[in-house]
Amino acid sequence: MRRLYALNVEARALGLFAGQKATDAAALVPELATHEADPAADAAALEALCDWCVRFSPAVAVDGRDGLLLDITGVSHLWDGEQAMADDLLARLAGNDIPARIAVADTAGAAWAFARFTAAAGQALVIPPGAQAGPLSPLPVTALRLEEAAAAQLARLGLTRIERLIGLPRAQLTRRFGPQVVLRLDQALGHAREALVFRRPPSPWHDRLAFAEPISLLDDLVRVAGDLAERLCARLRTEGRGARRFELTCHRADGKAFPVQVGLSVAGRDARILTRLFAPRLEMIDPGFGIEVVTLSAEEVEAMSAAQGELDSRRAAMAEEGVAALVDRLANRLGEDAVWRAEVVQSHVPERAERAAPAISPCATAGWDPDRPRPIRLLAHPEAITVMAKLPDDPPLLFTWRGRPRRVRLAEGPERIAEEWWRRPVGDIGPGFVRDYYRVEDEAGGRYWIFRAGLYDDARNPPRWWLHGVFA
Amino acid sequence: MSGSRAARLAVLRDQVAALEAGTRTPSLVQPFGDPRVDDCLPGGGLPLGRWHEIVAEGLETEVGAAAAGFGAMLARPLAATGAVIWVMRRDDLYAPGLESLGFPGRRLIQVRVRDEAQALMALEDALGSAGVAAVLGETEDVDLTAGRRLQLACEKHGATGLILRRRPFGGSARKAATGSAAATRWRVSSAASHPPPGEPGLGPPRWSVALERCRGGRPGTWIFEWNEEADHGPHPLRMVPGLAGDALAAAERVRRIA
Repeated sequence: MRRLYALNVEARALGLFAGQKATDAAALVPELATHEADPAADAAALEALCDWCVRFSPAVAVDGRDGLLLDITGVSHLWDGEQAMADDLLARLAGNDIPARIAVADTAGAAWAFARFTAAAGQALVIPPGAQAGPLSPLPVTALRLEEAAAAQLARLGLTRIERLIGLPRAQLTRRFGPQVVLRLDQALGHAREALVFRRPPSPWHDRLAFAEPISLLDDLVRVAGDLAERLCARLRTEGRGARRFELTCHRADGKAFPVQVGLSVAGRDARILTRLFAPRLEMIDPGFGIEVVTLSAEEVEAMSAAQGELDSRRAAMAEEGVAALVDRLANRLGEDAVWRAEVVQSHVPERAERAAPAISPCATAGWDPDRPRPIRLLAHPEAITVMAKLPDDPPLLFTWRGRPRRVRLAEGPERIAEEWWRRPVGDIGPGFVRDYYRVEDEAGGRYWIFRAGLYDDARNPPRWWLHGVFA
Repeated sequence: MSGSRAARLAVLRDQVAALEAGTRTPSLVQPFGDPRVDDCLPGGGLPLGRWHEIVAEGLETEVGAAAAGFGAMLARPLAATGAVIWVMRRDDLYAPGLESLGFPGRRLIQVRVRDEAQALMALEDALGSAGVAAVLGETEDVDLTAGRRLQLACEKHGATGLILRRRPFGGSARKAATGSAAATRWRVSSAASHPPPGEPGLGPPRWSVALERCRGGRPGTWIFEWNEEADHGPHPLRMVPGLAGDALAAAERVRRIA
């Protein structure tokens, strides 16, 4: 059966309601225009709205199908009070053709109830602190965000208003209607805590700049980024902290948000460096009709000492910072994995003996085994070579690599390297995973690292020869 | 008449020298510690705060192993004074191999780029950064304009550039640029090693090196051997006397037979 999912103001004025049978509604109002409900698109739009609301508060949560919860603790002073803030939000939503009602209260539960049952359409209601019990009392029990079954049963027993519930013995309420009723009541009145799932974790390292006139010039954007970075970095500095990741979000006049991220290899708080990293990325932003609000947030905030203690001389510290800034510039332009430092891995298998580590990171003291010579170029995939050897276990006399035969003048080896059998299923382990490496030098002076995989006495897998690296 | 002409020339020379000194910091050098090499180089050693070109031949233009080893050895004395950065398009550089040659492979900052433009950008940025002692870069070609930019970047903080000319992924070779802003150009190939008598296996690596171009110096041909004992003091490259002559003689003999 098809039912009405949602209605606009005009339809509601004609006496139609959500949940009504579509055929009934069509009989009542023959000229009714209907469209297929699309809950997925609604949810996506609500999430987009949620992201947009970050300009008002860093902590925004999607609530159900049609609501948003904003934690505006400590933010409202930016608008000179909660009423002004709510009015501003309402006006901006109305400007985007989004009808809304807003309530500000001490608890999420009370705000939910007032927004849905007390506030008129297009009204921003502010309940003063600690005063939610009075206005909450006359509201129906459905304003408590109850499950349908519990709400229906309460109504059947004549408990239609919240004030009736407040006086009742709590133990009996819990026994009859489950723990949810008491919990929701306490949450609305502020006796119980409620955890909200915010769209992004609230971070105190957040700052914003709003403009009376939307800006669109690149130079202005860069200057704004610099100002914001200056403010946020000053706060980080006073608390002795630095951050490794910064996100600058430009909110466009039409409600779209453009986030830009930069990462630092060591925690930092230098506004000048940040601005320089942001500047090339701001070019990518399409300002459209202008950018109204820019927010900057710092993530991965960690404690950072004012001066790096272990570096005694000032020049060394400056050099270190110069290299760190270079690594940041390159990593932000080329990609995070394009700048690295080789790190020792305890493995005999050559291709596994090194690993990429962050370019600016402490260097382990233990290096690779100096007694095992290694090539300066290691091919990612060993290349097959054809070989002439005198005896099975001898290094070859002649081998052909990349179409050119090379006569071996000097050879050294073998160095037997077994593959790490514990990385394979038990059935796969065999002599085929043993490599005998030889260092050979051809008559032209080229030095190569070749290996034989497998053993000659294994008739099923005859050994094959490979070239794995080239020495300097 | 001629006297006044000479005087005017001298004045002009002084002016030119003053102009040159104004844009360039007085050049430091890294001597090889062997007069036969150092005498060919202006100032008695590899000029620092400049960039140098290292080229190879044949298959080496693709593999770039000998050139990489030689470049790393030139940069090794500088690694103690600051960061060393290696910019490349193919990341087949093997840090354990660098450490086998005594180069601090674990401290080396490696940068992988996607194309020539990015390589030159990264090289220029790295050369112009404070705290960077040397930058090694693998590029296909550096034209005159790009070379000038690299040189300007070198002069900012005195970093030394070593550009290894390497063809990125096979393919046909590009025509080499006619001019170059490099301070020197070295042609490097690996040379036959000589193990100590009575010992099996390979000797320390050797490179046959030709100094092809050198501003204010003379070209020359030498064979260098990796100096195993050089931990901190002498240069990690040691000239092997006489053998270059041997090689030349051998080449001549072949020519005579042919």
